[in-house]
Amino acid sequence: MNADTPLVSLVLTGRNDGYGGDFTRRFHRVLEFNHRQLAARQVSHELVFIEWAPPPGTPLLVERIFDAVPDLSRHVCSWYVVDRLYQEALSLNPRVEFLEFIAKNVGIRRARGRFVLTTNCDVYLGRRVLHVLEHAELRPRVLYRAPRHDLNMPEACSTVDWDVLEDPRNLSGPAHVLKPPYMGSATGDFVLLDRESFHEIRGFNEVYRVARIGIDRNVLVKALSAGFAIEDIGGPVYHENHEGSYRLNPTAFAGRETEAPWGDRRWHQAGVSYQNPPTWGLSGAPTRQAGDGRWFLDFSWDAVPPMVDLKRVVLPVARRGGPAPGLYVKKH
Amino acid sequence: MVGALAGARDEACSILRRWTCDVKRLLIRLLAAVGLVPAGRYRALKRQADEFRAGTSEWKAKAREALDQVKKLSIDLKMQSQLVDQLQQRTSEFQTLQERLAAAERDLATAREQLMAVEVKLDILEGAANVLDTRTRSVVSRQRSGSSASA
Repeated sequence: MNADTPLVSLVLTGRNDGYGGDFTRRFHRVLEFNHRQLAARQVSHELVFIEWAPPPGTPLLVERIFDAVPDLSRHVCSWYVVDRLYQEALSLNPRVEFLEFIAKNVGIRRARGRFVLTTNCDVYLGRRVLHVLEHAELRPRVLYRAPRHDLNMPEACSTVDWDVLEDPRNLSGPAHVLKPPYMGSATGDFVLLDRESFHEIRGFNEVYRVARIGIDRNVLVKALSAGFAIEDIGGPVYHENHEGSYRLNPTAFAGRETEAPWGDRRWHQAGVSYQNPPTWGLSGAPTRQAGDGRWFLDFSWDAVPPMVDLKRVVLPVARRGGPAPGLYVKKH
Repeated sequence: MVGALAGARDEACSILRRWTCDVKRLLIRLLAAVGLVPAGRYRALKRQADEFRAGTSEWKAKAREALDQVKKLSIDLKMQSQLVDQLQQRTSEFQTLQERLAAAERDLATAREQLMAVEVKLDILEGAANVLDTRTRSVVSRQRSGSSASA
């Protein structure tokens, strides 16, 4: 491990497509806050951003980020722009327009930190999370989860601070509670694991690309099956509500689940596991450096895993002291 | 003198009483030898015999009741032991059923897991088929529009 290896890599993904309304405004606020808090506590960190399949005709996020967030140090950023042809080539469901977890895998695969935190562009780290990072109270082979507090940000809020985040009046509902064995619920917003273990399980499921929803929960099944522990880190993260969020209206596609932009939420995310190919995270994609901490992943069919690779859908195994695989099954 | 006479009289009376008793005893023995007893004795013995007779019939009735009870209890005991046997058999059958149920549950869990895996694989296959269908249609459309344009 090099001396300049950061303690933690934050893996984020997004693109300049106006997702959920004012995406860039939310993203800049979150990035500014999280970076400021980490820097204030002298947590050595890396920001790995995957700009996934950016739409043509709009500026890249990376082109504006350092102007929009002046405090953001260039040397902590590793920015990967992924050719949009990958989205098309990998898709198994045209309604899912953003293969979020393959994008995150691109980041996990390339992250340098001893620990890797996959999170989202609208998630603020809480005090407890920052405390744990500051004191490096993290263990390998433990997948850390944090409960999510959903916030309705005040209209006039331009800068986010603890007063805003911790004001109970801004809570949009009761805080999520993490329940063993999964410690699931809004998993995509906070999965923290040591880099080696993340590589051992080969990131999130890349075989099932029919849905985006539930892929985060599926990684918990994989982690348990691999013998990792799953623990609550002990404090929340804060999520800024926005339009189009699944959380705000999870039953919007009730009765026509296959039409949902996140895929059919009823798939057996808790009942199966996976074995990603060795090329997970588009490791074979031709990479072109386009400046300091900035790369393009050009398209190549060689980097695209097979469209169908059924032997990589596997059953989870029970570990001693862990739940039996049958218990992973959600009872309807 | 008077005193001496009184003494003699008492002596005579005493001798007479003893003699009377002896005679009485003798007579009783003699009567007993021929199977007779005095009337008082006879009445007392008769009363005692009646009492014994009454007691005997009472005991006989009790004995009959007890015998009936024994018979009833024997039948009960037989039934109970049959029930015990049946219960033991049922218990053994129940244990077998429990084992079968546990095995069936395990099989069901395995089948459910396999079914989930199959359904997930079918999702993938369906998704791939749909994507390939869309791609094929788009290629064919392009080819057709290209060939009609060139024509």
